[in-house]
Amino acid sequence: MTAFNQNSYQSPSISASLSSFWAMVRKEFTIMLRYPVEFLASFVQVFLIVIIFTLAGLMFSPEGAGGGASSEVTGVVSYGFILFLFLSDTLWSIGFNIRREQKQGTLEQIYMSPASKLAVLGSRVIITLIWTSILSVVAVWLLTNLLGDLPIHNIGLGLFVLIMALSGTFGTGFAFAALTLRVKESAQTAVNLLQFMFMIFCAPFFAFSALPEPLLWISRSIPLAYGVDLFRSTLMGFPNGFPELAPFGVELTIVTLFGIGMPILGIWLYQQAENHARRKGSLSEY
Amino acid sequence: MQTFTYTPPTPRQTLSAALAETKIRLINATRYPGQMLMEILIPIIFAAMPLLLGRSTGGANAAVYFEANTGTANFVAYMLIGSNVFAIVSYAFWHIAHWVRFEQETGTLEAVYTTPTSSTTLAAGVAIYSAIRGFGTAIIAYLLGCAIFRVNPFEGQVFLALLFLLIGLVPLYGFAFLFGALVLKIKESNALINLMQWVVSFLMGIFFPVTVLPAGIRFVAQLFPPTWMVNGVRSSLLGVGYFLENWYLDFAVLWAFLLFVPLFSVWVFQRVENNLRRNEGIGTF
Repeated sequence: MTAFNQNSYQSPSISASLSSFWAMVRKEFTIMLRYPVEFLASFVQVFLIVIIFTLAGLMFSPEGAGGGASSEVTGVVSYGFILFLFLSDTLWSIGFNIRREQKQGTLEQIYMSPASKLAVLGSRVIITLIWTSILSVVAVWLLTNLLGDLPIHNIGLGLFVLIMALSGTFGTGFAFAALTLRVKESAQTAVNLLQFMFMIFCAPFFAFSALPEPLLWISRSIPLAYGVDLFRSTLMGFPNGFPELAPFGVELTIVTLFGIGMPILGIWLYQQAENHARRKGSLSEY
Repeated sequence: MQTFTYTPPTPRQTLSAALAETKIRLINATRYPGQMLMEILIPIIFAAMPLLLGRSTGGANAAVYFEANTGTANFVAYMLIGSNVFAIVSYAFWHIAHWVRFEQETGTLEAVYTTPTSSTTLAAGVAIYSAIRGFGTAIIAYLLGCAIFRVNPFEGQVFLALLFLLIGLVPLYGFAFLFGALVLKIKESNALINLMQWVVSFLMGIFFPVTVLPAGIRFVAQLFPPTWMVNGVRSSLLGVGYFLENWYLDFAVLWAFLLFVPLFSVWVFQRVENNLRRNEGIGTF
């Protein structure tokens, strides 16, 4: 008879952890590729969203659909759209897709293995980074073709702001995964609500100046709104009136703190939610 | 020995089966009030995007430029009509496709074929439910949106606008049924609907007139009933101009769609269905 000694359990080595993480990334990527309709749909969808909003915006320009837009408008819309794509994909693929593991029953199994539980979320970050980056490049290329030249300044600082904003966005995704474990299927409604709130209060498709003052106060209470504002202001070379929500130094501080603090908070919230689910025995309940 | 004789259901029984399907879905919908609230809020928020984009692009002259490009300065109502008609169209596709896929996944589609009730009858029940839900929430969303953005919702010919919407619903559900056949065939609904939503919003000119599209795409767009619905409503309320100059000519086109699309869709759906039944495809998903 084989005896299992609890004390003989050893934590996985770094290479074993990396190997299991890589296996999870590959698993996610393989699943993605196995649904060609979904894969193609997400690609075509971006094209259509860009065209619809571009045409809508051009209805307010003197030349109409035949003309272009000022470089400022192109910058505001294009850079905002990149962050919109990332937030949207993060909420769905990191936040809500924990439901898929739950429904398939694989979430319960992961807790029986020595693999890192956070790697489940981490593997999705990698997929989101790769796939959404490709979509963003395509969207920006399309927008510049439709609207006109895109202003590109301060690339180094812009990249730093993007990394911080994305890091904070992924942290938001982790926190949302925690919420998904708690509220289960209702999380689908919550994703839609969050996405639309982001579209209004973080102004990814328009300048903050278009928002009425009371809504601007809500925007000022959302760290990601500063990420959107600072990212596009930086890459547009800080034209007059940009950044719109706060002075540059204040925005940079908020975005940096958001980028560092939100993943930590998100992971902590997720761990609390999974402990709660394990205690209540609801990991595989849906 | 007892003998069984099959008699096809009477029209009254068929109607009763369709309405029973409508009833269970309406009861089910009331169990998710949060979802209903979102359905009212989403078209308003969706319309707010181009409104805010327009304000930041056109500045103080936004209404002037908009009128020059579309034929009306009331861009708030223009966008709200677009987003609400889109919501109706979107729910039509969601509800029909989701019904097909759900029945397939739970195995009840197979069972339906062993009863005297046809899948077309059940689809009609789903369509009635969907039309009530979609139309109801769209009207509330439009009125609420107009109140939020402070525009008059009853400007223009309201009755004519409602007629365009109601007549357009029949060919719209015909199209949705056609889409259901596609879902049945390729056994995928979510990604297809997500894609379809954007294709539909583009073709019907959700936030812009389809006249700005290139001739080829415009032609395809005008083969799609929601394009005529949304333009009919906008023309009735905002006077942006009918495609064929007069309301009754645009109306006649919708009637032509009404007569042709549902029959064509049922024919296609039944062909796909028969094909799958013969090739062991109904129960596999």
